[in-house]
Amino acid sequence: MAPQMKGLTQFIADLRNAKDTEEEQRRINLEINNIHSKFSGKVNSYDRKKYLCKLMYIYLLGYTDQVDVGVRESFQLLSSSNYSEKQLGYLAVQVLQPYRQGRVKDFLVTQMEQMHSILLRDLKSDSEPINCLAINHIASHYRVNDGTTIGQNDDTAPLWQELVDIIYSYCTSPISTPIIKSKAALALNSLLKVFPGLQNNWIPRLLTLLDNPDINVMTSSIPLVEMLITQEPRYIRSILPSISRRLYAIIVEQKCPEDFFYYNTPAPWLVIKLLQLLERLFVSQKPDGTPMLSIVDFDHTVLGELRAIVAQSIQNAGQPARGLPNRNSQSAILFQSVSLAVFLDASPDAIDGAVAALLGLIDSQDTNTKYLAIDALIKLTRRSTGLESRFDSRMPQIFQLLYDKDVSVRRKALDLICTVCHAETAPNIVGKLLDYFPYGDFSIKQELALKIAVVAETFATDTTWYVSTMLRLLSIGGGYNANGNSFISHEVWERIVQIVVNNEELQPKTTKLVVSLLKNPITRTNTDPKKAPPPPTGTPESLVKVAAVVLGEFCNTVDPEQSFRVLYDHYFKVSLVTRAMLLTTFLKYLVKFPDADFIADIVDLFEVETMSLDLEIQTRAHEYLMLATQPSQEFKRHVVRPLPVFVQEESPLYKRLGLDARRPGARANAVAAAAARGAVEAPNNVVNSGLTPGWQAGYSRMLHYDAGIFFENQLVKILYRIVKDHHQITYKFSVINNAGKSANTVINGFTLLSIDPQCDNINPSYVITTTESPDATISTKTSMEHVVKIRHIVENNQSPRMTITFTCGGSFNQLNLKIPVTLLRSLSSGGMQISLDEFNIRWSQIGSQLGPDAGERVTEATIPHRCNSSNIVRLLTRLGFAVVQGSPDDAMPIEVYGAGILNTSSSNYGLLCKLTSIGVDGKTFRIAVRCTGGGVAEIIADSLREVLMAQ
Amino acid sequence: MCNVLEYKNIKIVYRRYASLFFVVGIDTDDNELLALEIVHRFVEQMDRMYGNVCELDIIFGFDKAYHVLDELLLDGYIQESSKKEVLRRVAQQDELENMDEFTSVLA
Repeated sequence: MAPQMKGLTQFIADLRNAKDTEEEQRRINLEINNIHSKFSGKVNSYDRKKYLCKLMYIYLLGYTDQVDVGVRESFQLLSSSNYSEKQLGYLAVQVLQPYRQGRVKDFLVTQMEQMHSILLRDLKSDSEPINCLAINHIASHYRVNDGTTIGQNDDTAPLWQELVDIIYSYCTSPISTPIIKSKAALALNSLLKVFPGLQNNWIPRLLTLLDNPDINVMTSSIPLVEMLITQEPRYIRSILPSISRRLYAIIVEQKCPEDFFYYNTPAPWLVIKLLQLLERLFVSQKPDGTPMLSIVDFDHTVLGELRAIVAQSIQNAGQPARGLPNRNSQSAILFQSVSLAVFLDASPDAIDGAVAALLGLIDSQDTNTKYLAIDALIKLTRRSTGLESRFDSRMPQIFQLLYDKDVSVRRKALDLICTVCHAETAPNIVGKLLDYFPYGDFSIKQELALKIAVVAETFATDTTWYVSTMLRLLSIGGGYNANGNSFISHEVWERIVQIVVNNEELQPKTTKLVVSLLKNPITRTNTDPKKAPPPPTGTPESLVKVAAVVLGEFCNTVDPEQSFRVLYDHYFKVSLVTRAMLLTTFLKYLVKFPDADFIADIVDLFEVETMSLDLEIQTRAHEYLMLATQPSQEFKRHVVRPLPVFVQEESPLYKRLGLDARRPGARANAVAAAAARGAVEAPNNVVNSGLTPGWQAGYSRMLHYDAGIFFENQLVKILYRIVKDHHQITYKFSVINNAGKSANTVINGFTLLSIDPQCDNINPSYVITTTESPDATISTKTSMEHVVKIRHIVENNQSPRMTITFTCGGSFNQLNLKIPVTLLRSLSSGGMQISLDEFNIRWSQIGSQLGPDAGERVTEATIPHRCNSSNIVRLLTRLGFAVVQGSPDDAMPIEVYGAGILNTSSSNYGLLCKLTSIGVDGKTFRIAVRCTGGGVAEIIADSLREVLMAQ
Repeated sequence: MCNVLEYKNIKIVYRRYASLFFVVGIDTDDNELLALEIVHRFVEQMDRMYGNVCELDIIFGFDKAYHVLDELLLDGYIQESSKKEVLRRVAQQDELENMDEFTSVLA
């Protein structure tokens, strides 16, 4: 450890010995003055460090406005070439100059102007520790949480851009050490939040950070990857294999470097972060509202691995833990896995297993485990459908948690109870919660009341039950917390009033019930003899408020004298707001029953209240008194018209709880959206500006050959095989490591970045699904497989583009290749034999049905080399036609006819074609196509032309 | 007592070591138990560095505590989860500082 600075130690000791704030303040003032005078003269390096440390200590004690004197000196230290001075300089800038007040943007701009040249120099320094200091600073100092960004047009934009470029190159350079890479990944993440200056074609390179064998690099790059993926969701599928493979290796195969075991748990931080990343992608949405990630995005291998990972984590949690840190990290992984499980369409058995494992933990002795198990159960239930009833038999155990010694646990338990509540259990649960209410803490009561109200409203099948339940809640929910807030938020009683006013049949019941509840408050029977009787509560103010409105409106449904007496008795027990409401109620009584005995009491009350100190009450009393003494009954009746029906549709209670939609609905929508989307990404996102040179040969070959070489360069060779089954076409690729043969190099991070169909994504003409992902590391070969389902007519320009990235010997490579998906590819002859006569009959049938415009297309093509009749027959046979040879091999012109069926999942089309040579060289052909589908002939003729030209 | 509190839109996770409290604020969708273990790792590392760390070590050597933290967490994200590595880097920094001292003494 570096030697301590004596002056600093003494200063800290002095401050710690200070008897009171005054003495501390005096000591600090003295020191600040001292530092001021020292800094205005010449100071040596040791003193400068010492004084800055003192200033930092002063700052950390909370005297944040007295340390500005240190700012200039911090920069002095930063400019030093000495490591320890530089290090302290960075620390001083971070501690003494964080964002405190004013515009965030001003702060960022000033900091960048001051720091840019220093950072640049340190980033370019030859010393790695100095690079690290600068990268650390960038990662932690420019964090903004309020969405402030520096735009491309800002004055400082070039400075930011320069930093982004350098940090980017640190992330991707093959010579950066893992330490630099992991720091740079985090720095780029914070930098891009402030200055979104990343070029789109950089993203694939950055995503390969996830394939880095170093655990720290992978861990640190996760936040960056998450941000990039959120920006460009089309790359999402490309990272899934890397994530699942790494998790599988760690959790199932237990492969993890010794250093990264944390108390016998392998790499818990990496595991959690990866699981979290997956979960967040499932939860978040693309700009068009569809989920970022859904189950259809996975191929079988990845999905299988992930399910195994979740199962293994749940099983691991059941094993005895070795010490608290081991147990905590095991449980952390369990909770994370469980919340992911739902999205993986786990089997009911797996979900049951998860529920059972979690229910086992809620009785745990450890409070944290208990709390988090409840939390995980809530998440699990909310995200799946129909899970609620599985808790029915465990309700007593869950209710017991409401009496837990820890308030956080009690709150969570309440959440859980309301989450697992369903139509059948609701009345019982609400009843129990009402029994619990008096025992609830002050801090929990408000939430409890709100939750009871929401559950009662959501599951109410019987309005009488609803009203009596709610009034019971109001009746026992009197009293206030320490801040003078009622336990029952006003939304609750307002909602009851809304419902009663809108439902005529409820009105008489409600008025009777209100009167009887006010007369005879519920005497709380002690339901549980083990517990002490609940503390008494005050006047049920909310109930009086409901009574004020409801009785004022519908007092004709009860005995007016009795109901008036009840309200009148409560008048002086309630708050001013409620009194003001009661005054209005009394005015209504006065108008409706002008001859009743209690009129005198009302007028007296108005008179008394004209002297009230409260302005609102005084005003009301005065106005009502004037009205009361008005002789015209007609006029008064106009003043107190009945309340109109409330038109508000949505319950304000949901808003209060922050619920935007009910669970099952939200889930169903998400599922529907995913289903509608199929497996297709937006077509407009053209991955690349161009295709990789050399793509054409493989593409053309694939147009008519069912197997062959798709692509080849020095590093890789990709072979393909096509298997057709009606409208379903399977493309199997094997990737061979060419570099392995020559240079014995392994290909790393081989990633299928994206496969973008270029068709309409609302009603796509075909759907492409990756059924097998390639291995990331290729020593000799790997394979991948896509399945294309032709849904309806595919245009000729809709073939998908496939983007592949990999690294080989330190170089980063990207391949953009086009796979032919054409309607012609769906052609089959079904083994049919056709004669020339039959052909001619059908040919004229199509002609007469559709007419020459829609049904026929004629075009010409020139083949690069000479063909004879047999060549053309073989070509058409390869394409899937049943062929009729019209002319012998040595005769001219060549005439070949083909017939077949085009298969799409929506319908099939009959297809006929005639190839006739023009001239004598056997190179130029006339192509005539007739098809039963309108407009299809044109597409096929063009495809045939393309095939012939590429011969 | 539960070591997690929900506070406004974050979660507060805290852990007590004798008279020292370590408090972390995390996002609501972050993992609480692992946050507790980050605290534990931080304490372990300081323990190694100061040798049985106590409050005074952190107060009088607050810059060192910052260095350990900066190697462990960066911008709130875990950066280095291997215990040895963090200490190796802090030791390397110390060495560089000592070198500086040495140079300045000679000069």
